[in-house]
Amino acid sequence: MIKSKKDLYAGLMFIVIGGFFALWALNYPMGTAVRMGPAYFPSILGWLTAGLGVIIMVRGFTMPDVDPNPTQWKPMLWIHGSAVLFGLLVDPLKIGFVGAVVASVIACAYGGYEFKWKEAIISAAVLTVVCWGAFVYGLGLPFRLFPGS
Amino acid sequence: MKKTILGFTAALALLATSFAFAQATGKPADFVDPGLFKNLILGFSVALSWTNLWYCFIGCFLGTLIGVLPGIGPVATIAMLLPITFNLPPIPALIMLAGIYYGASYGGSTTAILVNLPGESSSVVTCIDGYKMGQQGRAGPALAIAALGSFFAGTVGTILIALFGPPLAELAFEFGAAEYFSMMVLGLVAAVVLASGSLIKAIAMILVGLLLGLVGTDVNSGIARYSFGISELSDGIGFVSVAMGMFGFAEIVGNLEAKEADRTGATISEVKSLMPTAEDIKMSIGPIIRGTAIGTIFGILPGSHTVIAAFSSYTLEKKLAKDPSRFGKGAIEGVAGPESANNAAAQTCFIPLLTLGIPTGAVMALMVGAMTIQGIAPGPQVMTQKPDLFWGMIASMWIGNGMLVLLNLPLISIWVMFLKIPYRILFPGICLFCSIGAYSLNNSAMEVYLAATFGVFGYFASKWGCEPAPLLLGFVLGPLMEENLRRAMLISRGDPSVFFTRPISCGMLIVAGALLIMIISPQIKKKRDEVLIEGDGL
Repeated sequence: MIKSKKDLYAGLMFIVIGGFFALWALNYPMGTAVRMGPAYFPSILGWLTAGLGVIIMVRGFTMPDVDPNPTQWKPMLWIHGSAVLFGLLVDPLKIGFVGAVVASVIACAYGGYEFKWKEAIISAAVLTVVCWGAFVYGLGLPFRLFPGS
Repeated sequence: MKKTILGFTAALALLATSFAFAQATGKPADFVDPGLFKNLILGFSVALSWTNLWYCFIGCFLGTLIGVLPGIGPVATIAMLLPITFNLPPIPALIMLAGIYYGASYGGSTTAILVNLPGESSSVVTCIDGYKMGQQGRAGPALAIAALGSFFAGTVGTILIALFGPPLAELAFEFGAAEYFSMMVLGLVAAVVLASGSLIKAIAMILVGLLLGLVGTDVNSGIARYSFGISELSDGIGFVSVAMGMFGFAEIVGNLEAKEADRTGATISEVKSLMPTAEDIKMSIGPIIRGTAIGTIFGILPGSHTVIAAFSSYTLEKKLAKDPSRFGKGAIEGVAGPESANNAAAQTCFIPLLTLGIPTGAVMALMVGAMTIQGIAPGPQVMTQKPDLFWGMIASMWIGNGMLVLLNLPLISIWVMFLKIPYRILFPGICLFCSIGAYSLNNSAMEVYLAATFGVFGYFASKWGCEPAPLLLGFVLGPLMEENLRRAMLISRGDPSVFFTRPISCGMLIVAGALLIMIISPQIKKKRDEVLIEGDGL
């Protein structure tokens, strides 16, 4: 029945994104063709995207294709999680630059293969010094280094 | 071969039309502007100042450094290093960015020759014969020829920008909103036609990019669209976050998944002597000149065509060779031609950006973003309003290309050292640089969260066969397209036929339509797939 999971999922993705933008545009004034409101262009684009999504999805039932590689949740979640962690620690939690760098490097390394604590801690230490030198000292980015400092 | 002929014809047509436009608008098409030398002198006086030379050097150095690291293409490299330039004045910032771009492209070919791993897709072709040469103990000559070929191509590209920039910009001044809108449509269509992968998915990705580009405060009404009450979003989504997410984070996860980027098992060819033999040089001159010609044409055409340029050049050299069986076994022509083509294309793709303000690929889209951050709207007015910036950048392109030759050959042992670092040690650092870079955009964690979101999105999108590059292109063009559509419709009092009654606009839409029909027709589609699959399989 389903011939191409890639096309099916991609089609669904475009339908959701396009449909969302088009429907959400209802919150904004449409305007006229002469004086286009903020909703005019996004509505056109949104429906076009959703329409293409339908075509791509239909293709998923007709044109055979290989299955996508299985999703690797571990690297996917840890890598992106490490970025979010960095943001959280620096901004709302105010842990400071050093703590955020160390935590996010170790979290990121954990998402890879062949994780070794020793390696991760050494590279976290090296990266802290390098990033402090390059970004805080060199470029003068306004990071606080430690909590409260 | 067919592709090459197609390219030549297209470029000729492009030149003929620009000539015709110049005639039609009553302006003489003086391609060799008498003020050219004055302009070039102005450019060199800007680029040769110590500060700018220094930033050009830093850019080339950092670009190569990151470019030789596995699994990081030029887009991710530029996105990662972009925040460094924010605090600089516009001229050094752009000079440095151009340096980063060349360095990143060059770093890709170094890894291709030494470890058979293309740092970016356009170096795929270099791997074939470059790596074989390395295994035969001739890595040095391969690197030297690649550098010299790239330098020659870069020189020609720079001269072409200086020659064709002013008349093209002159032409762009005649454009109204309708022409700009149609030109963007044509640019976007042309960019997907030659891209690899599914055409319909690429178009859908462009549309998503256009939509994402519209997030933020609407200039006409002041309404914050799709911001969901998040104050950071009312300024729009930062393009650096999009680029870092889709080309940085998502690619790292993809690399970890494939485990290909780990080169601990790969043997690194030793670099003994850099000097190519007289025979090598003699054999490379032809391929370098032909490669430059091919690359120049593909660079001007919309779309990131460095891959196709390199691939066409390789095919051409193989066809022209007396003994084609040498190819794939370490033929120096197979390095000289594609490397020159690749670099020529990387150079000439600045022409549409600097003269018309239209980015032709993901890297140029990043340059638009960088210029916008510096308060410069890319387009024909840059040349007239900021001649020092325009000509300084062009002069520094040439200096940057020369610097790469001087920098890379002696520093090759340093790059080899970086190549030996295993990927599992590298990627947390790359990730961290992306996080810090995203954060430093506005000193807000929001950009980091956005980058992570786009990373997840990009990971799944490419898993399902949707390439990220068209999205970035659409993202940059979104607001511009809306603005020009609005203006054109306002002037025409809501009559959409304005796009077809104005001859230049109509012509561009017809070409865009013809390209789409061409690509959908089964015969050409088959040919395109063959070429692209052959290119992928190399």
